Amino acid sequence: MTSTTRDLITDLSTSHGEPGWLRERRAAAWHVYETTPAPTWSDEEWRRTDTSWVDWDGAAPAANGADPARLALPMEVSSASVLLRQRGSMVEVLYTSPEARDAGVTVVSLAAAADSDGDTVADRLGTDLAPPSAGKLQAMNAALWSGGAFVRVPEGAKLTAPIVIVIDAADQPIFPRTLVSTGAGSSADVLEWWRSSQAATPGLANGCVELFVGAGSKLSYTHVQAWGGHAGSFLTQYASVARDAELATTNVTLGGRFHKGAIAATLTGPGANVRLNGMAYLDGEQFADHHTLQDHRTTDAASDLLYVNVLDGSARSVYAGTIMVQPHAQRSNAYQQNRNLMLKRGPRADSIPRLEIMADDVRCTHGSTTSTIDPMHLYYLGSRGLGLDQARSLIVDGTFEPVLDRIPDATVRSAVRTAVRAKLHGTAAA
Amino acid sequence: MTATNGQTTLSIRDLHVSVEDAEILRGVTLDIPAGEVHALMGPNGSGKSTLANALMGHPAYEITAGQVHFKGQDVLELETDERARLGMFLAFQYPAEIPGVRVASFLRLALNARRETEISVMEFRRLLMEKMQMLRMDPKFASRYLNEGFSGGEKKRNEILQLAVLEPELAILDETDSGLDIDALRIVADGVNRLRGSDLGVLVITHYQRLLNYIEPDRVHVLIDGRVVESGGKELAERLEAEGYERYGAAAASEDA
Repeated sequence: MTSTTRDLITDLSTSHGEPGWLRERRAAAWHVYETTPAPTWSDEEWRRTDTSWVDWDGAAPAANGADPARLALPMEVSSASVLLRQRGSMVEVLYTSPEARDAGVTVVSLAAAADSDGDTVADRLGTDLAPPSAGKLQAMNAALWSGGAFVRVPEGAKLTAPIVIVIDAADQPIFPRTLVSTGAGSSADVLEWWRSSQAATPGLANGCVELFVGAGSKLSYTHVQAWGGHAGSFLTQYASVARDAELATTNVTLGGRFHKGAIAATLTGPGANVRLNGMAYLDGEQFADHHTLQDHRTTDAASDLLYVNVLDGSARSVYAGTIMVQPHAQRSNAYQQNRNLMLKRGPRADSIPRLEIMADDVRCTHGSTTSTIDPMHLYYLGSRGLGLDQARSLIVDGTFEPVLDRIPDATVRSAVRTAVRAKLHGTAAA
Repeated sequence: MTATNGQTTLSIRDLHVSVEDAEILRGVTLDIPAGEVHALMGPNGSGKSTLANALMGHPAYEITAGQVHFKGQDVLELETDERARLGMFLAFQYPAEIPGVRVASFLRLALNARRETEISVMEFRRLLMEKMQMLRMDPKFASRYLNEGFSGGEKKRNEILQLAVLEPELAILDETDSGLDIDALRIVADGVNRLRGSDLGVLVITHYQRLLNYIEPDRVHVLIDGRVVESGGKELAERLEAEGYERYGAAAASEDA
């Protein structure tokens, strides 16, 4: 079995015409994968998260063949800077705006970038941020990813429209991989959207995103997980944020039955400013776990986190977030807030905030609230003529609004709002 | 379905209301004809806010006896939102703070709930700005979250803004004057006065006579211990201001006025 998988990985690499170093990295990652034990209940990170459904021994490169459902794009093509779509393992760039072309922005499949931008990719893919040694899932992705997206925003380039990455899956495992790198003083918005039809969903999706935010640049990265009904999904999303750079990530969790997100931002230079935002709307039997890390490794940097879960049915959410301030990271300013709203008595939300402060001149605070809808809010809205359903949906909208507010790009914000409302009102997101 | 002047818009008959098994209203009877402004005065604890909330259908208030008709309909049968769509409005003493819900988007939904056809975004915007100008509110107010972080005065002004936009046929103002400085009080009273006309019935609930200097009532009712003990013209309010509620007996005198 193992040797077969190794051969399959070599075949995958060869068929994509990948350079030797990448083939070797895949093989090395597979070795790490095989020698790293699967997560168990006894690991702190996995205590509340059941991974017994994952077929760890059956992991193999995704087979080509199955054709993902044809889903409508989340926005007008022309409202993007660049639109890259991956269907299964096949990547195509559907649109590049004149603005993006003039700015010299590169948006291509990661496989193509291994050739065209070989040095950058070799330097940054699975090295500092999400190496295979980070864990079994990261190793699995590093060995098995296919297609992938590479985004490079050159120094000083400022894009006014978002770069959009759409990943469409069929009913086969999928291993998306994204590498974003912004040059000094540049500015860009990136939206990545994972989708499948309700019926044909990937049993296992395991994606990995690495964001390198260069000095004085601004990156907003929004991720939407909108798999169909029974998908099981893992997302690793690690960022490093340089001096005077600004990063906002927003994770929107809507689909699948299982989702685990490992989200981290490392602040490496003074003046770095990070916002980590998240919103999940879960119903039925859905489960979502977000582990976040705000890692202050420099003086004079700020991070602010807001994760909001709205739970219906018998859904469950886990939020576990750590603020870590390294010993020399004086004058760090870090904030973390998790809000959970239960629409019924059935759901459950676990919230585990953690501070690890090793410096003495810092401002770090966190807060967590879990509540049900206040009957007095329903009464107030009712007194203005809104029926129960309308009032509830307005309150849910309002609960997500502070997160939507933090998505800087209006096109991205509106696409996300539409997807959330579609789920809320029970209409297909497509 | 518009009531004409002189017709009774709201009719309350022998209303008994309990909260957590304690009887607060003990047989209230009151009529408010369309186009009239009635004041309901009384000491703290006399049941003024209970009446306001019972009329609007607050879930914690139990109607144990009596009847309430509005425009001829038995409203005790109706849910709160149905009463609102029928034309009843309560300006709350303590309006709820609803985070994330913007004043403008909420108010447009509320207005559409009362209309047969949806108001266009542009038309609504124009209406909202006109009413905000009338109440001398900063246009930025429209995009703020509903009552969140509002001062006491801003909340009250926001209640009157909703009244002005929704144009109900009955407005109950529950201690709208409390927490308002004199300038804000004038602006709010001006707003209410402009809405007075042949259709709107108003029930002004207040502890003090002050508000009634600006919103002149057609009738004044005194509520003591869950019952209306006296009704009269606007001179009754002036007398209460001078003499207090002591003359109505021990139960009232024991309240801190």
